[in-house]
Amino acid sequence: MRPKVVITGMGVVSALGVGVKANGIALMQGISGIREARYLPTEHREFPVGEVQLSSEELRQMLELPDGRLYSRTHLFGAAALREALSMTNLLEHKGLALISGTTVGGMDVTESLFPNPLPKGQPDVHDCGASTNDIADSCGDFDYTSTVSTACSSAMNALIMGKLLIENGERDIVVAGGSEALSKFHLNGFKSLMILDRERCRPFDKTRSGLNLGEGAAFLVLESEESALKRGAQILGVLSGAGNACDAHHQTASSDNGEGACRAMTQALSNAGLLSANIDYVNAHGTGTPNNDASESAALKRVFGAQLPPVSSTKSYTGHTTSASGSIEAAFCLMALWNGFIPVQPEFENPDEQCIIPVSGSEALSVDLHHVMCNAFGFGGNDSSIILSRYE
Amino acid sequence: MNKVYVTAIVKDVPAEEYGRYLSPMKARRMGKLQKRALVTALKAMEISGIGEPDAILNGTAMGCMENTVQMLNGLSAEGEEVNMPTCFMQSTHNTVASQIAIFTGNHGYNTTYAHRTISFELALQDAFLRLRAGLARTALVCANDELTELQVQQPDFFGQLEVQDRSEAWMLSIEPGDHPIYELENVKIIHDKGAEDRAIIQKISL
Repeated sequence: MRPKVVITGMGVVSALGVGVKANGIALMQGISGIREARYLPTEHREFPVGEVQLSSEELRQMLELPDGRLYSRTHLFGAAALREALSMTNLLEHKGLALISGTTVGGMDVTESLFPNPLPKGQPDVHDCGASTNDIADSCGDFDYTSTVSTACSSAMNALIMGKLLIENGERDIVVAGGSEALSKFHLNGFKSLMILDRERCRPFDKTRSGLNLGEGAAFLVLESEESALKRGAQILGVLSGAGNACDAHHQTASSDNGEGACRAMTQALSNAGLLSANIDYVNAHGTGTPNNDASESAALKRVFGAQLPPVSSTKSYTGHTTSASGSIEAAFCLMALWNGFIPVQPEFENPDEQCIIPVSGSEALSVDLHHVMCNAFGFGGNDSSIILSRYE
Repeated sequence: MNKVYVTAIVKDVPAEEYGRYLSPMKARRMGKLQKRALVTALKAMEISGIGEPDAILNGTAMGCMENTVQMLNGLSAEGEEVNMPTCFMQSTHNTVASQIAIFTGNHGYNTTYAHRTISFELALQDAFLRLRAGLARTALVCANDELTELQVQQPDFFGQLEVQDRSEAWMLSIEPGDHPIYELENVKIIHDKGAEDRAIIQKISL
């Protein structure tokens, strides 16, 4: 029997605030963090974003990191989320931890602010994805294994999937996994070029949806073998019970009409967890708000769940699409939902679309007893991932 | 637990051989790295006789830098009027692994590691554990990086990370086949604050 992978800590930073509590309250009260850009030095104020409401300097001071070097926001968000996750489960002094972080933007916010000038001499590496992960790992705790997954918008979820594999194989007892991503002009203008940014607050699965809002943030989950958690006497928040990843193999950025990759990822996650679709009490959809993603994901959801579709919602209308970090931020939301017994609703949803599922809407979260929750994250290249989080019982 | 074998290793297929794997029509739309990465992968599939691996993994230190630098140049020259959709979508680190899957119609596990000098070894570790645990029977594990003109002119433009201009593809299988190269025993990853990360590929030559 493979060891059970439990979750003993989490840390979250998003447009909803810094910390699990601030994020949980906003989700339960139905308060979105999407607004006009304030910290990203972009001209494109017409596209609302889900920004972390702190400047880099404010974050640096909050984290008491030394002055005199360049910090990417990816590094700072990650450091804040990691610190919360480790302190929650008393691992700040623990030796020999592993960190797997998902990112694609890495230190691009710093690079683009310098370009066409190079990184100044004497500065530590900031640009590459691995540099941001190592900076996060070296900001608190003691890590002897670090790794970076970069599969665009499914990066953080694939980091969780790798963490699960390391624990199940007995390679590690504790793996901190998730992702971090800062907004950059680079990808804001990239998504603008693809014409998939909405000028209004995004409306996933709504007939009037016309694109996504970009967001930023970080989340890390402490994954641990059940044996290790019990031995430490750690509080167990939930179980990472299933994982699936499949390639849509259709197009570099567009999803297939029938949601082949997404369907395979969800089906794998179910069989990996030893569950049936009827066991799932809530799905946190990828639901970006682009016409293509939401129609394709809906097709896949209908194929997996048939007529018994559980409640579905996308929390991107709260945080924006936090790209590489979305998989772990939304996994953390699922864990909060399981723990506190609620389903986040979509406050902006009004107009059903015959091509789409109908998400749970309303003004504040539904109070529901949850046992198994599914969370989806899909990336460019048709990189589709799905995980299942379960109550520990 | 399954044993894991390396049944093919292909490095940097020369441009003269591209035509065997890729029609000029299809090649025309691809960048230098994309072409080299794809034909290197296709040759590893051909040699190993495994055309549909259960998993495709790539390791890249810096990703698709040609497109990244082009986009940065565009932003710097045109400001935020820039409109480079193709360049942007092919700048993400997982472009190569996705492209191999799209080209060969492969719906299997697909992932990319971008962790400095040990990106390939992390991809290899993932594939090794997956095969050993029986989650997959075969896996294509690649290493791909490119050096742009900017990095050739100014090697420390983006920092101290040294990037090798290379494409490499290993085929892993739980079956040794007729000509196994190695049996993989494990891949160890070592992070030590302040030093470059290290990896040790534990293998037996066959």
